[in-house]
Amino acid sequence: MACSLSFSSSVSTFHLPTTTQSTQAPPNNATTLPTTNPIQCANLRELRDRIGSVKNTQKITEAMKLVAAAKVRRAQEAVVNGRPFSETLVEVLYNMNEQLQTEDVDVPLTKIRTVKKVALMVVTGDRGLCGGFNNMLLKKAESRIAELKKLGVDYTIISIGKKGNTYFIRRPEIPVDRYFDGTNLPTAKEAQAIADDVFSLFVSEEVDKVEMLYTKFVSLVKSDPVIHTLLPLSPKGEICDINGKCVDAAEDELFRLTTKEGKLTVERDMIKTETPAFSPILEFEQDPAQILDALLPLYLNSQILRALQESLASELAARMTAMSNATDNANELKKTLSINYNRARQAKITGEILEIVAGANACV
Amino acid sequence: MTLNLCVLTPNRSIWNSEVKEIILSTNSGQIGVLPNHAPTATAVDIGILRIRLNDQWLTLALMGGFARIGNNEITILVNDAERGSDIDPQEAQQTLEIAEANLRKAEGKRQKIEANLALRRARTRVEASNTISS
Repeated sequence: MACSLSFSSSVSTFHLPTTTQSTQAPPNNATTLPTTNPIQCANLRELRDRIGSVKNTQKITEAMKLVAAAKVRRAQEAVVNGRPFSETLVEVLYNMNEQLQTEDVDVPLTKIRTVKKVALMVVTGDRGLCGGFNNMLLKKAESRIAELKKLGVDYTIISIGKKGNTYFIRRPEIPVDRYFDGTNLPTAKEAQAIADDVFSLFVSEEVDKVEMLYTKFVSLVKSDPVIHTLLPLSPKGEICDINGKCVDAAEDELFRLTTKEGKLTVERDMIKTETPAFSPILEFEQDPAQILDALLPLYLNSQILRALQESLASELAARMTAMSNATDNANELKKTLSINYNRARQAKITGEILEIVAGANACV
Repeated sequence: MTLNLCVLTPNRSIWNSEVKEIILSTNSGQIGVLPNHAPTATAVDIGILRIRLNDQWLTLALMGGFARIGNNEITILVNDAERGSDIDPQEAQQTLEIAEANLRKAEGKRQKIEANLALRRARTRVEASNTISS
């Protein structure tokens, strides 16, 4: 008797070499029962094989979930290591602004030009199996592209991450300036490479604005695709989204993965960086504008690095959720299958006993 | 008086301890810093930083940034920094040659800017690795 394989698609997508055969029913006896139960298998061996395959899949998803959780911790360590830098940077930038408020500074990175062309920096993940993480961001990118088209503004894409790269390669009508591969753990080197590209695009006046699309990490179950304006920088060290809402860099957020009652949770700390007054007799070795010119690229770098780190954290969190759902589903499927298996086994035994009894009766 | 030096990159802090003297490449030339230096803020160019520990000189390759000196505390913020002893001289030399070739090939304003930056970084790394061996 054949199985009505209503669950087979969800299982066979993993293509485990040992388990795929079990989900394919042998085609010899194709008479199917009218089913009320989605899993109507009578063949005991088939059922047993399917239980085994579901078990294997569950083990894999479970492992992937744990790996993702461990990586979230690593990602968070990287953020912590970068803290002294970003804190000092914000402090210095803040003080610099205080002193430069009265002066008319002209720094290339802060120059606001009429926008003719926009560079969109799209940060995606490298791997799949993380729910709608990559899709959500790419959809956001598409809608932003449509918006820009409507406004009659030219655009170009800077794609970061393998998933985004394949997406844009498949769509040759979208102009892409450069592809970057993502890495397991973003470092300053990668951020630097991207910053160099963005910097040269902007300074050479090929583009007049750089926007950054990435997934902001809110919590383990929530992350938002957001758009931030990266360039021109506001000299105050603020970063603005497209609606002009500005976030002060002095309010730095730090996410922290903790275990609460055996469950993983995330705490988000808001840290207001203390900005002690600069000594008033501070000497500027160079022109203040030049110093700002040296500081702002640093700031640009740390912003990009930050975006990469947030994006990675969101990806890992999304993977954790997706994999934990998959594990739950596998558990449920396993349970249903086991019940069916036991039922079939019992029916078989009952049938055999009946046969023996009937045989014995006939002999008497 | 002791002088405390702190070199920070976005990834980690490279250096955080006492030093006797440093020589820093700024945008307006090299400056030497001894204890009790006047409070100063300066942009740091892509170049080498020389550190004196007692009688020993160490070299760091700095990839551009900013330094603040005051109250016997030096804070240097840079995009990237490498110890001269960690750089492979041969590899650095090769990178320099590639960068030089790239600059010659570069066309247009944008490529020139990029190639120039790469060349200066490569040159600094070679310098930093050479000072160790000499």
